[in-house]
Amino acid sequence: MTLSRARNGGAVYLLAAIPAGFLLVFFVLPILMLLSASVLKSEDMVPVAQLTAENFTTLLSHKLYLDAILRTLGIGVTVGALVIILGYPLAYVLTRTRSRWQPLLVALALSPLLASVIVRTYGWWVLFNRDGAINGFLQTMGLIKAPLLLLPSTAVIIVGLAHALLPYGILTLMAALNGVNPNLERAAMSLGAGRLRTFASVTLPLTSSGVIGGFLLAFGVAIGAYATPAILGGPGTQTMATLIYSFMMTLLDWSLGSAMGVILLASSFAVLALTMLAGRRSAS
Amino acid sequence: MSRRIAPHRIVLWTVVALIYAFMLVPIAITATVSFNAVDRSYFPPRGFSLHWWAMAMSPQWTGPFLFSLKLAALSAIATAILGLPLGLALRRPAFAGRGVLLALIMGPLVLPSLVTGIALLQFLTIAGVGDWLGLPALIIGHVIICLPFMVRTLSVSLESIPRNAEIAAASLGASRLVVLREVTLPLARSGAGAGMIFAFISSFDDINLALFVARPGQQPLTVQIMQFLEYGFSPTLAALSILSLLVPLALVAVFGRLVGIGSFIYQDHGHA
Repeated sequence: MTLSRARNGGAVYLLAAIPAGFLLVFFVLPILMLLSASVLKSEDMVPVAQLTAENFTTLLSHKLYLDAILRTLGIGVTVGALVIILGYPLAYVLTRTRSRWQPLLVALALSPLLASVIVRTYGWWVLFNRDGAINGFLQTMGLIKAPLLLLPSTAVIIVGLAHALLPYGILTLMAALNGVNPNLERAAMSLGAGRLRTFASVTLPLTSSGVIGGFLLAFGVAIGAYATPAILGGPGTQTMATLIYSFMMTLLDWSLGSAMGVILLASSFAVLALTMLAGRRSAS
Repeated sequence: MSRRIAPHRIVLWTVVALIYAFMLVPIAITATVSFNAVDRSYFPPRGFSLHWWAMAMSPQWTGPFLFSLKLAALSAIATAILGLPLGLALRRPAFAGRGVLLALIMGPLVLPSLVTGIALLQFLTIAGVGDWLGLPALIIGHVIICLPFMVRTLSVSLESIPRNAEIAAASLGASRLVVLREVTLPLARSGAGAGMIFAFISSFDDINLALFVARPGQQPLTVQIMQFLEYGFSPTLAALSILSLLVPLALVAVFGRLVGIGSFIYQDHGHA
């Protein structure tokens, strides 16, 4: 038995080596080059063999850059939290309802996934711009006299990103909720726990992996999102992503672009580590 | 079952209705804006015109549109081919290097795809294969960012069957190949299908990576729109957005049922 399993495993490893090699060449190697480019000087876009910390000190000492970094992290955390808060009730209902409309409701909840981020951001721009629907409505109601300047705004970027990432959160949470046996909830209630108590001490802890996963997914995508901050933001609401685009494609300063990329990457890993640590603590 | 509706249900469904509105209203707004008679994105629209829809269907836009479809299909297929062996390998509970392999696959999930994009741009340029930028680089990049989803959905569907099912099949005399073909792969099918649909959509919608590794003439729709946006918002983009929504929608409606993506997402509580 052990022998046959080992032999079987060998074939699988061999097959897995192909995609693993693909990832090593086209993912790990480029990331390593990015890491080294961030600590090298560059001439005409190409990094030269001269170590420097200048790229990072430039990014961390200029107020514009530092603000962008902090703004991006704030956006990521807020969007992650919003996605969970909004996604949970929906995912809960979709996994628990016995309505025959359930498949349709699921399709409806996930349908925004089919629209590109640009489609979804466009709607918010139409609502919030100076001649937009919200200003129009407020003026018609007589609540304001002159149109409000709602864009560019970090708050609207957050709304736009939460909207764009909500289906991902719902998917993650539904997967977690499906793993919960509804009989456990019934048992808790039959033993006298109220609905809130049942939710807080049975359902939520059992789905914590989905909550953490959904938050991380939303945070990671949000801090690296380019289109939404580019459309709903402006020069005063730069994020890491919009700055990286300027460095790489407009200013052609690949060193600064790489360094900012490394900061973005480090942020993702820091939050991943923190969340996993918190998850482990709550589990034990 | 009584028809009387409990109060907690009313609260819950109201919340749910509001969240649905939040999700769908902006898309509905985009759709209506495309019918404006003037070259402004007014909502509610002023006048009625199909002019912007005609503009959206001009060759300027059908080219990138078809390019995006081709890119998404190729990325989805490549992701499935590379993902299946990974999913099967990771099923084994403990082997040397399992953690490393998992980190390797899930890395791109933790990494913003924009970082993967600039890394790939630099790598291909410095490695002297700058002419891969365009379709080849886009496929490579999209496979990298879609593999974590593929492996995850595969793992979920592979774990959904008790190991006993395979052991039972083997004990009843099925060879390892037969077990793989008759028990394991049919279970993996829903996961692979869901992963491919994810991959197709991620590729079709991606802008963060495509922004850096596309090239003029080989640009997906999203990048083209983003560049067009520098000249301001036009109702053409609204029409285009809705058009770009229809193709994947049709695809999922047909293909999603075929691979049973529904049963993958919500395993009915009725069945054991």
